[in-house]
Amino acid sequence: MHKDQRLLDLAALLLKAAEPVSWREIQEQFPEDYAGKGEAAIRKFERDKADLLELGIPVRYAAGDEDLPAGYLIDKDEFYLPDLKLPPEDLALLYVAGSAALAQGTFPYARDLAQALNKLSFAASAPGASESAAQAARRLSAAETEAPPAVVRWLEELSRAIAHKKRVHLRYRGAERPEDTEREVDPYGLFQNGGAWYLTGWCHLREDIRTFHLSRIVSLSVNSATPRTPDFDVRGDFSLAEVAAREPWEFRVHAPVRCRVLLDTPVSDEVLASFGPRKKVREEEGALEVEVEATNSEGLLRHVLSLGPAAEIRSPRALRERARQVLAELVEGLS
Amino acid sequence: MTGPRRRPPARPAAAPVDPGPPRPDPRDRLRRVLFLVPYAVRHPGCTVKDLARRCACTEKELLEDLDFLLNVGSPPFGPDDFLDVYVEGDRVHVALHQSFSRPPRFTESEAAALAAAAEGLGGEGRERAVKALRDSVPKDRRASFDELSRRIYAGAPPAPDSVLGRLQRAMADRRAVRLAYHSASRDAETDRVVHPYTLAQRFGHWYLYGHDEERGKPLAFRVDRIRGCQPLSQRFEPPGEAELSRMRLFSETSGEPASIRIAPGATAWAIARPGIRPVRREEDGGAVVEVTAGEEWATRFALSLGGQAEVVGPPAARRHFAERVRRTLARYRTT
Repeated sequence: MHKDQRLLDLAALLLKAAEPVSWREIQEQFPEDYAGKGEAAIRKFERDKADLLELGIPVRYAAGDEDLPAGYLIDKDEFYLPDLKLPPEDLALLYVAGSAALAQGTFPYARDLAQALNKLSFAASAPGASESAAQAARRLSAAETEAPPAVVRWLEELSRAIAHKKRVHLRYRGAERPEDTEREVDPYGLFQNGGAWYLTGWCHLREDIRTFHLSRIVSLSVNSATPRTPDFDVRGDFSLAEVAAREPWEFRVHAPVRCRVLLDTPVSDEVLASFGPRKKVREEEGALEVEVEATNSEGLLRHVLSLGPAAEIRSPRALRERARQVLAELVEGLS
Repeated sequence: MTGPRRRPPARPAAAPVDPGPPRPDPRDRLRRVLFLVPYAVRHPGCTVKDLARRCACTEKELLEDLDFLLNVGSPPFGPDDFLDVYVEGDRVHVALHQSFSRPPRFTESEAAALAAAAEGLGGEGRERAVKALRDSVPKDRRASFDELSRRIYAGAPPAPDSVLGRLQRAMADRRAVRLAYHSASRDAETDRVVHPYTLAQRFGHWYLYGHDEERGKPLAFRVDRIRGCQPLSQRFEPPGEAELSRMRLFSETSGEPASIRIAPGATAWAIARPGIRPVRREEDGGAVVEVTAGEEWATRFALSLGGQAEVVGPPAARRHFAERVRRTLARYRTT
């Protein structure tokens, strides 16, 4: 019997049964598939159970008591998607957030997200439901017809690797050196910042937590040995939100340096906010001085340059000199 | 218990499923079928086309799925075991089944992906919605849901929960809102009456897409620039799902695109950024890209590459860049 048919038959059998179904009965119903007394048949059944669970169908073993025989069952309450009982505005939040994530084209677990929106739009109708179902359908059918861009592929593979805690091998093009590096990484999580996705994990090359820009990954492979056995545990003190909240100049590249930036007033809220929540601000005549601690001063340099002539790096002297050099070279190229 | 199984009256006997090349994952078909059956039950006589669209597959695949369903529950099960599926003309009927009347619960990755999207958007209902998603995962997978939710971070919400909550409620109720909106071009707070259609993410920012009453056309508003949001009693008709999807693809186009030349070392990085369109690769490994977000944005983007990029055209954009670079350099003449 084909595997898909066996899985559905098994689910149908257990859903229909009034009481737990014994292993023997299951073997009788699937004589070709689970034949024999050996361990092999049981292992095959266990794999099928795991596959069903991944589809959202939990098969449980009940030990049996005076009233019920021992056997396998699917709790109806544990199987059917319940009514979420959410007010329309909360459903709108889910539909809008889900649709926007899919429309963006890059989101971890994108296929699962599309499946979730499909199921949700089935279970709860609210404004936005049909649009999000259409987005979901588009995402699910697109994946099979078009070759996805690298970032989408990495997101998909990393999503799986993170869920199963499998180590990955990266070829990475770092920002600060011209040649690629090869690394083993335990993937801890994926985060989004400024429209781009990043991987954070334990880097075995640097023996520390490191963050990788997905579009700088040249190639990636997931450890395919023992797919159901985790390769690592995430360190207890790790917080993805904390890592994700770091500004570019807070990436760990060098020892901390205090940097001061001068901003001409009036300074818009957005520009001020762009220096993050850990800045110190001092008012001067016609200007604000912003002080931050940088462990990647190149990141700060680039941010300040992007603000144009209304901003300048005041200190440290070396960084100020570097800014002058970069600008002087650009001016030279203009003529 | 279901009644006797009826063979499909209006369709020739099902062709045996072609064993052909192995399908990538048999669970894909099961996922589809677990959605297809309850959907067809809920919408009796829905068309093959509609069903295929909702299941994100081709009509051919859908007909194969229906054939597959006919084989499910075949002997050794009794004739009354499972489903009755038939296609009449172009309409699908599913009858006399009990087991798959509703879709299965969310898998942990489905729920976690949707929860991550919701957390990244925010709103007053965020915690309620995430809890409802968690409760919709089978009980013994909830720990995995919790674990996985800590592994995806889609960004910090773009506005206070109260502003987003009001927007989401207005979208759900299809009511107009009065916005206190900070206009970046005028650097002033403006008062707008908007019919909020949807929220979309673009280049790392969230936008409200809606009809601006005073200007009489749909516009995009950066959500982080919405300072206040008051619901009004006035109702509106939202646009259709196709138009909503189109709106998600909006770009802030303003005139001719600006061309930027990128140095070899920064090319891979730069062309992976959102909103950047590669035009050609240079022999030295560098590239020329186009951006359509205006010359100010082009200048900022080029400068954010730390001296590894310059705006090369059109002449007005080049002048804008040159003027900015010279003025910025002037600030560094003193030490």
